[in-house]
Amino acid sequence: MTEKNKDKTFRIHLMVCAGTACVSNGSFEIKEALEKEIKKYDLKEEVLVVTTGCNGFCERGPLLVVQPGNIFYQQLKLKDIPHLVEEHFLKGRPVEKLMYSPPEEKTPIPILSDIDFFKKQVLIALQNRGLIDPEKIDEYIARDGYRALAKALTEMTPEEIIKEIKESGLRGRGGGGFPTGLKWEFVRNATSPNGGEKYIICNGDEGDPGAFMDRSILEADPHCVIEGMLIGAKAVGASQGFLYVRDEYPLAISRLNIALEQAREYGLLGKDIFGSGFDFDIKVTRGAGAFVCGEETALLASVEGKLGEPRPRPPYPAESGLWGKPTCINNVETWANICRIINRGGKWFSSIGTETSKGTKVFSLVGKINNTGLVEVPMGITLREIIEDIGGGIPGGKEFKAVQTGGPSGGCIPKEKIDLPIDYESLSEVGSIMGSGGMVVMDEDTCMVDVAKFFLTFTQDESCGKCTPCREGTKAMQQILTRITEGKGKEEDLSLLEDLAKSIKDSALCGLGQTAPNPVLTTIRYFRDEYEAHIQEKKCPAHVCRELNTYTIDEDICLNKGHGCDLCRKNCSADAILGEKKQAHKIIQDKCIKCGVCYDVCNFGAVKVD
Amino acid sequence: MINLTIDGKKIQVEEGTTILQAAENLDIKIPTLCFHPLLEPYGACRVCVVEVTLNKKTNIVTSCNTKVKEDMDIQTASERALKARKLNIEMLMAQAPAAEPVQEIAKELGIEKTRFEITDTEEKCILCGLCVRACEEVVGASAISFVERGAKREVSTPFGEESEACIGCTACAFFCPTGAITSEDLHGRKVIHEELGLGPSTAIRIPIRQAVPMVPFIDEESCIHFKTGKCKLCEKVCEKEAINHEAEDTEIEVEVGSVIIASGFKSFDAKRIPAYGYGRYRNIITALEFERMVNASSPTGGDILMANGEEPKAVGIVHCVGSRDENYNEYCSRVCCMYSLKFAHLLKEKTEANIYDFYIDMRCFGKGYEEFYHRILAEGAKFIRGRVAEITDLALTEKEEGKLIIRSEDTLLGVVRRIPVDMVILATGLEPGVDQKDIANKFNISCSQDGFFLERHPKLAPASTFSDGIFLAGACQSPKDIPDTVAQAGAAAAEALALADKGTFELEPVTAEIDEDLCAGCQICLGLCPFTAISYNEEKTICEINDALCKGCGTCVSACPSGASQQKHFRDNQIFAEIEGLFIE
Repeated sequence: MTEKNKDKTFRIHLMVCAGTACVSNGSFEIKEALEKEIKKYDLKEEVLVVTTGCNGFCERGPLLVVQPGNIFYQQLKLKDIPHLVEEHFLKGRPVEKLMYSPPEEKTPIPILSDIDFFKKQVLIALQNRGLIDPEKIDEYIARDGYRALAKALTEMTPEEIIKEIKESGLRGRGGGGFPTGLKWEFVRNATSPNGGEKYIICNGDEGDPGAFMDRSILEADPHCVIEGMLIGAKAVGASQGFLYVRDEYPLAISRLNIALEQAREYGLLGKDIFGSGFDFDIKVTRGAGAFVCGEETALLASVEGKLGEPRPRPPYPAESGLWGKPTCINNVETWANICRIINRGGKWFSSIGTETSKGTKVFSLVGKINNTGLVEVPMGITLREIIEDIGGGIPGGKEFKAVQTGGPSGGCIPKEKIDLPIDYESLSEVGSIMGSGGMVVMDEDTCMVDVAKFFLTFTQDESCGKCTPCREGTKAMQQILTRITEGKGKEEDLSLLEDLAKSIKDSALCGLGQTAPNPVLTTIRYFRDEYEAHIQEKKCPAHVCRELNTYTIDEDICLNKGHGCDLCRKNCSADAILGEKKQAHKIIQDKCIKCGVCYDVCNFGAVKVD
Repeated sequence: MINLTIDGKKIQVEEGTTILQAAENLDIKIPTLCFHPLLEPYGACRVCVVEVTLNKKTNIVTSCNTKVKEDMDIQTASERALKARKLNIEMLMAQAPAAEPVQEIAKELGIEKTRFEITDTEEKCILCGLCVRACEEVVGASAISFVERGAKREVSTPFGEESEACIGCTACAFFCPTGAITSEDLHGRKVIHEELGLGPSTAIRIPIRQAVPMVPFIDEESCIHFKTGKCKLCEKVCEKEAINHEAEDTEIEVEVGSVIIASGFKSFDAKRIPAYGYGRYRNIITALEFERMVNASSPTGGDILMANGEEPKAVGIVHCVGSRDENYNEYCSRVCCMYSLKFAHLLKEKTEANIYDFYIDMRCFGKGYEEFYHRILAEGAKFIRGRVAEITDLALTEKEEGKLIIRSEDTLLGVVRRIPVDMVILATGLEPGVDQKDIANKFNISCSQDGFFLERHPKLAPASTFSDGIFLAGACQSPKDIPDTVAQAGAAAAEALALADKGTFELEPVTAEIDEDLCAGCQICLGLCPFTAISYNEEKTICEINDALCKGCGTCVSACPSGASQQKHFRDNQIFAEIEGLFIE
């Protein structure tokens, strides 16, 4: 709200999503168009356009939520705006064709909370998403912002804060799942050398392919992270904090800097906060793009300005972290939970979730799924609920095959385990990890050997190269997987892969190396037959591995249905297709480079792949 | 103390000990690659992995950087640990096939061949980081570091360019276990230096094998600690704690009755004769350098070698370099002919080389010297009479290709000759020492025209100076060989002893004195006194004469404008009275 609008009330608030996905789909243009139309109808005093952080339903962007009423518009285009403004905001008739209707149904669902995608979600870390303008501290404060800080600073002792967090059962959301309260206690009890200070770090170096939980929180609700860090600082006795955010998140960095500036202006950061005598400030440190810097010891080295590579633990950062001082490192999502726990109590938080994993977890649901987006679900929810109910199932009526959790450090969970309740322990039992919350859904068209190769290529590229098993081991595994997908796999490759994977897990220096074999181990465990098909029969069952495919043309279909349309021959870059118009076509196998273009262009399904 | 079990053996070690150290105490060998006792453990190669059971939990850890804990049960060669160790070695065999330490460990572990793809068969670097850590931790220069990541990781200077931060200490090469970094291009073993050193020397060394006292010293010019403030590795390894980097030079004052000056000479700097090519051609060396090379404790072990490490086939010895030459020194250096003959003899003894001596005339004046000359002639050294004009590598014929050519007139044959040789030894002459003038000023003694100290009398007092109690010995007085030096030193010592034995010395009775009433304090005498016997008394504003220093030369007496300075026993009125007495008759 601008100063002018501060005390004004409006009839309608239009919440335009300004998360990265919607922004790249043109939400800022939509906002401008909305304002233009509103001006046209002279509704400026009645309708206010607000930009919010990520709404979560990224698949359907750009998004607009109309308040009051919670009416949800999606996939907006510039040309829809004049009609929408006139119909809905002037005449009061919501526009049905811009509303969301589930894939197989035709009836639109007007209200956001009635949509399956939102229905099963429980919002704690994301509770302000889509509701506030992240660049306005007043809106955050209006939603109980900084109340928890006031409570922590003026009513609670550090011990009480730690007790509350311990009682909540909150565990690290960055992947490790270490109990947060216990970590804080370690830092609190650690003595800093020479009576020096202690540090708080927020790890926002989110690097898993397909994961964007931290980015969304930082973009949508930066103040809740800052508030969490402030409370953490009071609990462990720190006076300086660092927000380590990867430089690939420019929007998050700019919103964080705005938020920090505003917090300083309001006296919520700096000296003598709330007159309690407590000093704390936060500095944003930008990561330079190395995945390994998400590992806490490498992150520390990076903040110190050194080469971002891990060092052995112990000593843990809680004992000897940044510049050798006790340091409390938590992930963005963990920090986002803190103020809510302080506000509503640890007991409330622990009432959500399973025996060992409390609260909720934010997942970024991506891959072969209808509703791509960011979801926050209670621990213990089954994979089926996430994929089928929230995610809306697999597009194109394909069959669900597996889901990959935990990014490159995680594993693939097959469809047999779809009723698995999700928590830290259950995921680790099936060979995967919670990780930071990436969830990549795969359908029947996915080759699991190719998936393993993809993740190994990623870790191989991102390995810092310090220790032998990670540097050389991931390279070796990637080479073996590559040769398997190229049809050059040997009988002994499977056992060599397994040996390698186990030894790398055992002897790598840091978490990156120790978990890098997970995608290989789980795919071998659940999809051994696919590996064997690649190695023994030289076939890729999902037809993904090009070198193993054979393309043929069903002459009957080509001639009778397509009448020899000649499209395949025209598109073949290798001149491997023989034939003329109105004749059956044929592929010369010796010339075929297996690019698959003929298969893609054939409108009659005459090209077969085997 | 901490109790633990390693491979079933119980041991008690101090807190803070690593598993690797504890195992060493039990003589259990755990292979390592990236570990070095003088550097902080790094835990990168993962070859030293062991299986550790603690509190019923079993883990694989690296022994180099894991500290022992109470009740640890360690298996250094369990199946699981061995599997990981072997696989890591196997992967390193593929990554750096030319790294010998990896091959050695592989042999011990029974690995014959790697199953992984080899990309570069020449690769030696195993990325253990010893060089990087040495440069940072020990040297403090941080001139090299890892660049890139993952499989592309390598050791480099910033942007792969020559780094100003590098001090050229070669510590990286010293720590490199595989020879991936070598210092050969920096310091080949047999490089012949321009200085007397003949090849590389370490910062800590005994100057020469004959040094007295024979203890090593730290050369501040080369010592890393004095460049960066770090290192001090020698302090860490010296069990006797005999090394002190903070020690400084101290001045000692001794009161003595007499002084013998034996400050020696300086070798003629052959670079002053550009035509002889010294400093430009690596195989032209001076006499002292040759002397150093043939010494059994030299870097070549006493072998006579050229810069490329090969034995020379022809050697030229050039006499009178810087001596008997109007352009440099007119005098004869007296020793060059004889040491050149000795060199010829040594060359004959140690090599098969042809020897050419270029001389003006042979000065073999001592006892047995002429006989030695004849012996060398008989040994086959060729003597060419004539001053060398130039030494060059400019070949005119095929035979001269790649050789040094000595161009000289042969005054016996009356032709100009070009002799191609592999090595040239310049018989450099003797010059007054570098601090000759300083010493002269300090002791108030004179130098002769050639710059050497002037003796009191060339025949009757060759070891004395004009100052009582100050004597001369050796080449500081004039070029001389060892027998002459020993003889003169004996004479000087005897004179000094005689003086000490007497306990007193006789003052000159005829000295000058200044009449306080007449002296105007003009200080004209002050600058004229050759014995600095006159000083100015600022309180009385007059000049005064020190009787012990005054030699009664009378200079001040004749110069004094007011007649205040008078020679005792030879005062003006005494002399006039004597003259008057002569005329009385």
